[in-house]
Amino acid sequence: MSVPVSDFDYEAALLACAAGKQAALRALYEQEGARLLGVVQRIVRDRALAEDVLHDACLNIWTRAGSFDPFRGSARGWIYSVTRNLALNAVRDGRREVGMDDEMVQALDVREALEAWHDTTDAFDWRASAGRMEGCLEQLEPVRRNCILHAYVDGLSHGEIARRLEAPLGTVKAWIRRSLGALRECME
Amino acid sequence: MNRGSPEARELQALAGEYVLGTLGAAERRRVEARLPTDPELAAAVRAWEERLLPLTALAEPVSPPDRLWQRVERSLGALAGFPAAMPLSRRPWWRDWNSLTLWRGLAASGFAAAAVLAAVLVGRLAEPLPATRFMVVLVAPEDRAPGWVVQTRTSGQIELVPLGVVEVPADKALQFWTKADSWSAPVSLGLVTPGQSAKVPVSGLPALQPNQLFELTLEPRTGSPTGRPTGPVRFIGRAVQVL
Repeated sequence: MSVPVSDFDYEAALLACAAGKQAALRALYEQEGARLLGVVQRIVRDRALAEDVLHDACLNIWTRAGSFDPFRGSARGWIYSVTRNLALNAVRDGRREVGMDDEMVQALDVREALEAWHDTTDAFDWRASAGRMEGCLEQLEPVRRNCILHAYVDGLSHGEIARRLEAPLGTVKAWIRRSLGALRECME
Repeated sequence: MNRGSPEARELQALAGEYVLGTLGAAERRRVEARLPTDPELAAAVRAWEERLLPLTALAEPVSPPDRLWQRVERSLGALAGFPAAMPLSRRPWWRDWNSLTLWRGLAASGFAAAAVLAAVLVGRLAEPLPATRFMVVLVAPEDRAPGWVVQTRTSGQIELVPLGVVEVPADKALQFWTKADSWSAPVSLGLVTPGQSAKVPVSGLPALQPNQLFELTLEPRTGSPTGRPTGPVRFIGRAVQVL
C-alpha cells in the first residue's frame, strides 16, 4: 500500500533494485504505481498505451537503478523523469506534429495578441498540489500558468496548447518560454 | 559559460522545454543525444526535473490493474534469463557505475568499517580526536578501496585526509563535494591536491548530518564549469556518526 511520500525511502528502494532485489521494485510499484500511471495516462490519453508505458518504466527503473546518483537529483524525481520521458516519447513519436518553422510562427505571432490576451480562468486546481511551486505559479498570469500546466501535466505540444487556448502559436511559444524563465528565477 | 549570457539562457530554455515536454520528437531526440556529452545541458535538465516534479501531483492517480504487475514480473523473468539480449540496458547519461550499491554496501558494513578506519586515523594523526563526531570514508567506485577519510575535529572546519596517492591526469583536478539529504544540490568544497591533507572551512554550511554524502570527482583543472559535479566519481562515501 502507498504511504506518505515522506515516509518512503525511494533511494533505498533504488539501491535494492540495483542489487537485484525484486521485492524492492514491487514495493516501489505499490508505493508509486497509481500516481505514475495517473501521470502517464494524462500524457498519453490512452489506457492500454499508459499501461505499456508504465510496464516499460518499471523495466527501465529496474535495469538502470544502479546508475542513479543521489548527488545529481532525488530518487523520486529520477523515477518520475524515467517514466515521463517514456510517456512523452510515446506521444511525440506517435503523433505527427504539424511542421511549422520559426518564421511562420513569427508571422503568426501578432504582437497585440500577446499584450491583449487576458484569460483569468484556471484550467487546473493547482493550489492544493503544487507544494513548493505554489508561490511561483501564483506569480504567473492564469493563461500562462495554464500553458505550463497543459504542457507538463497533459503533455500537450505548443500547437495543441495553441488550439486548446485559441491563441496564436507564436504567442503560446513566447508565453511558455517567458514563464519558464520566471519560474526558474522565482525558484532559485 | 556566463550565467546571464544568451547561450546560457538558450541552454536553460532548451532544458526547460525538454522537461516540460513541449519539444517535438526530433528536437527531443537531439537533446537526448547531447545529454551524455554535454554536462551543462544535463545539469540544467536535472535541475528542471527537480523544479517541476511537484506538478506530477496534479494528475489524478489511476490504480493499475493486477495484470500489469504480473506482466512486469514476466518481463523481469525474461530479462533475468537472457541478460545478453537485454533491450533496456542503454546506459543513461549520468553515470556508468553502480554508485548506490557501492556506498550503501559500505554503510551496511557499518561501524566495523568505521572503527577500523578510526584506528587507522588515530595511528596516522598521532593525536587524540576528542571532537570527532562523524567519520566519512571515501572509497573508489571500482574496487571499494578506501582513498580518503573526512573528519570533523573542530567546528567550522573539516579535514580531508588521504590514505594513499592518487593519480590525476595533468589537465584534470579532483574536486570535493558534499550534499546532505535535505539539500537540493551538492556544494563544492573546492579542489584538492592528491596525496595531501586539506582543511576545508565549512562555517557557511549547516552542521554535518548523519548520512551526508561526500565525493571527489575528476573535473577540469580549474574545477567544474557548472558548479555541479560533471566528471567521473573517483571517491564517494557517506557520513557515519561515531559514538
